[in-house]
Amino acid sequence: MAEELLKNEETEQDELLEDDSQKGKFMTFQTGKEFFGISISYVNEIIAMQPIAAIPEVEDYVKGLINLRGKIIPVIDVRVRFKMEPCEYTDRTCIIVIDVKSTTIGLIVEKIAEVDTIMDDSIMPPPSLGRKEHEHNKYVYGLARTGDGVKLLIDPEKLIKQDDIEAVVEDARKEEQS
Amino acid sequence: MKILLAEDDFASRKFMDKQLSRYGECDVMVDGEEAVDAFMMALEDGEPYDLACLDVMMPVMDGYQVLKAIRDIEAQKGIPKSKRVKVIMTTALNDERNVKMAFELGCEAYAGKPIDVEKFEKVLNKLGLI
Amino acid sequence: MAEEFNTESMLDMFLYESGQLLEKLEGIILEKQDADCFDDADINEIFRVMHTIKGSSGVLMYDNITKVTHKLEDVFYYLRESHPDDVPHMELVEHVLAVSDFVTGELDKLKNGEQPDGDEKQLVEDLDEFLGRLKGEITKQGIQMPQANKHVEPTQFYITPVAGDDSHFYRISIHYRSDTQMSNLRAYSATYALKEVAEDLLYTPDDILSNEASADVIVAEGFHMLLQTKSSKEEVIALIDSSEAEEINFDELTKEEYGNALGEFGREQVILEPAPAEKAKADAKPEKKEAPKPGDYVVKTKEAGKGKTLAKNQPKQQSIISVNVEKMDALMDLIGELVIAEAVVLQNPDLKVPGLELSNFQKASGQLSKITTELQEVIMSMRMMPLTNVFQKMRRIVFDVSRKLGKDIELEVVGENTEVDKNIIEHITDPLMHLVRNSVDHGIEENSEDRTSIGKPAKGKITLEAKNEGGKVYISVKDDGKGLNKEKLYQKALEKGVIENKPMSEFTDKEIFRFITLPGFSTKEEVTEYSGRGVGMDVVVKNIQSISGRLDINSVEFEGSEMTLVIPLTLAIINGIVVQVGNSPFVIETASIKEFVRVGEDSLIHEPSGEEYIVLRGECYPFIRLNEKYDLPDSVHKIEEGIVVVLEHEGSQVCVLIDKLLQEQEIVVKPIPPYVKKVKGLSGCTQLGDGSIALILDIAGLLMHDGERR
Repeated sequence: MAEELLKNEETEQDELLEDDSQKGKFMTFQTGKEFFGISISYVNEIIAMQPIAAIPEVEDYVKGLINLRGKIIPVIDVRVRFKMEPCEYTDRTCIIVIDVKSTTIGLIVEKIAEVDTIMDDSIMPPPSLGRKEHEHNKYVYGLARTGDGVKLLIDPEKLIKQDDIEAVVEDARKEEQS
Repeated sequence: MKILLAEDDFASRKFMDKQLSRYGECDVMVDGEEAVDAFMMALEDGEPYDLACLDVMMPVMDGYQVLKAIRDIEAQKGIPKSKRVKVIMTTALNDERNVKMAFELGCEAYAGKPIDVEKFEKVLNKLGLI
Repeated sequence: MAEEFNTESMLDMFLYESGQLLEKLEGIILEKQDADCFDDADINEIFRVMHTIKGSSGVLMYDNITKVTHKLEDVFYYLRESHPDDVPHMELVEHVLAVSDFVTGELDKLKNGEQPDGDEKQLVEDLDEFLGRLKGEITKQGIQMPQANKHVEPTQFYITPVAGDDSHFYRISIHYRSDTQMSNLRAYSATYALKEVAEDLLYTPDDILSNEASADVIVAEGFHMLLQTKSSKEEVIALIDSSEAEEINFDELTKEEYGNALGEFGREQVILEPAPAEKAKADAKPEKKEAPKPGDYVVKTKEAGKGKTLAKNQPKQQSIISVNVEKMDALMDLIGELVIAEAVVLQNPDLKVPGLELSNFQKASGQLSKITTELQEVIMSMRMMPLTNVFQKMRRIVFDVSRKLGKDIELEVVGENTEVDKNIIEHITDPLMHLVRNSVDHGIEENSEDRTSIGKPAKGKITLEAKNEGGKVYISVKDDGKGLNKEKLYQKALEKGVIENKPMSEFTDKEIFRFITLPGFSTKEEVTEYSGRGVGMDVVVKNIQSISGRLDINSVEFEGSEMTLVIPLTLAIINGIVVQVGNSPFVIETASIKEFVRVGEDSLIHEPSGEEYIVLRGECYPFIRLNEKYDLPDSVHKIEEGIVVVLEHEGSQVCVLIDKLLQEQEIVVKPIPPYVKKVKGLSGCTQLGDGSIALILDIAGLLMHDGERR
């Protein structure tokens, strides 16, 4: 069972990475005690924390908007997104700017770790046994064992949650009709 | 009518020579300097040209330089405007700035290549040459 | 050779300039169509336009254009010199438009590479006749006849290159018998013969005279030529000496093929490779060499405009260049970055060290700020264009269609200077045209009696209005015609089967009006020339939706209809006032602000429901505390300490409490990224001078929200 799943993950992984040089490379970051990894093919750049313009009446993890050289992009707090306790922003807090499905978005993370090479064969599917209710698992598609511990690999497409976007589109449509 | 043709490209020269010879005696030069020399010589012999067809891109001197030289010589000799040689530039350079410059230098007509023979004739007519 | 890209051909320049002049002309005409006569400035201007076009078309020898403009110039010459009274204005307007249309048509032909062969005779005759009457009138009125308008024949001419339509293009390959002696000389005699008729001639191998070895190449591979000439195939064949030739392949090419082949023949010097064993066929592809023409001054091809420009004699730069919009976007982003970097430098914490002498720094940084601000303004203004030209076109449409249909219609234009992004202009022109035509055709009553009988003025009126409100551009076409009949629309929609079968009462008015935008719906019984093809309105809506705009329809039967295009602007610049609530800056469009007031607690009315109202000079306004509505911390709570802004949108007012005013500035409206859920009361965001982001308040949204709560 686990093996089968692993296989599936592998093929998905292959499709994810179009560029060979980026294959197996992950940007890893720490938030709370856990280390996370995100495929480097999504990562646009990493910028220092900057003033964020808050937007009222939106989800708590959407922290607001930042000005990325004239382009205004939303930023979300990964901790809050994962339903963890928010923490103070420090000098080490960074924003990872990622491009997902032509949406540019910033992820606020506590601390950037490094770029790791994680081979496909060291990625395991997340243990799913009886933990369905555990929210954040749906953003994590695999666990990777590296030298210094386990990293949770994030699927950014799930992270920015497609249904969020759909909900927005739906809202706009309703608006239009009203 | 006495015609001066300055054209370095053989094919064009032969073509133009054939066209122009219908209207009169046509002296053919292959570079800019020769053209000015020929113009000068004709002037001194008292048999100036009625029409000069100048290519722009030529060795030694280009057509604009020739045009300027011709107009300068005429001014220096005190030749009245009505008696000046009629100059037609013939060139593939047909952008507005070059055409304007040529007009300012004092040519009578500017013919873009490939030359529209019909219109060319019309111009000769308007210039009172034929 | 960057300068080559900036060169406009003489012809292009003529087309461009004349096009501009004609546009200006139409502007004057349509503006004054309803006046009694042209004023002196107009007459002068029209005279000048005609004079200029006459002059330049004369230089280029487009005789029909010259004749027509010449005549009209004469007409205006007499008007200018003699100022006769009682000029039949409408007739004059028609003459001018006829000339303008004629010239425009001829220019279009030139643009398409055709010859301007329109027949000007009728037009010239009409003008002559008109001029004759005009002169008669002048004599009758006892005004001294001015001296005839002196026309200076152009003394300089420009002969446009032949379009190549009557030129033929051939690819000729000659294969000589293998025992032919000195085939290179034979080949040469062929080229020599052809030069007689050639407008252009290229051949390979090209060193036939200087290189005796070329003889072998010619025997082995054949001799290939590219020829441009006016002569026919037969004439050309007759010129080629065919003795010793084993085979002559003769292909006529299109101009495009010829152009491509030129590239082959003219490509960089290639060293001749040993001939392949088999004979190359007519489609000569191998070993192309440049034509044997020495030096830099040589014209390589005679394709119009492709000649080499010489380094010297490069004339001055043009004043207009076209720029890729992507580059402009990139520039705009960079300037955004610059502004941020500037803020980082100027507000650097290192500068806050006590005791630093900064007066020179302050001076220099002041200069820097000024420059960056100007830079920002310039780039913004580059993308924006006023709607003037679009509205101009509409004037013409109203004029033409109303005259054709025999309707008396007055067009009022409001806000034509409203600026919108260039892309938007391109998208709205066609939809707007449809709407205007519809109004003239269907909106205004057929007969003026139908109007006067219900107490309306006989003259119909169409109002074209543009305004910029809350980050959106509203362009409306309003007529005071018969309006939409809901019953009729409903029946028609049922008939056409474009709606569900529901009783009419279940549709709102707006829904019923919207039927006309459904595909396959047209209320007009008969299709007319100008509208009513039944494809119009749904196409309009589709076009508008493609730029995420919408069409609002409003109508009162017998009073008229109003169609409004609402286009959200990604790049509109609005004048805004930046205000602060808590720690967040907000922008309010200046136009929607009625006033700022400071009021005390005593002006507030508290409802038991928690609603609050403010009473100002006896008027009662709904009151919104932005800090509470948007849950903004660290903000002013006491009404005396903050500022109350009275906002107005389409006649409704609302008061909003803010902390303080920051500044007034031009605001570039940007959309809130789609990832973020839409928030009522916010229409977009913008980047402030210091790089921070402010949210733009949407007054309509605020009012709506307020309405819902009540």
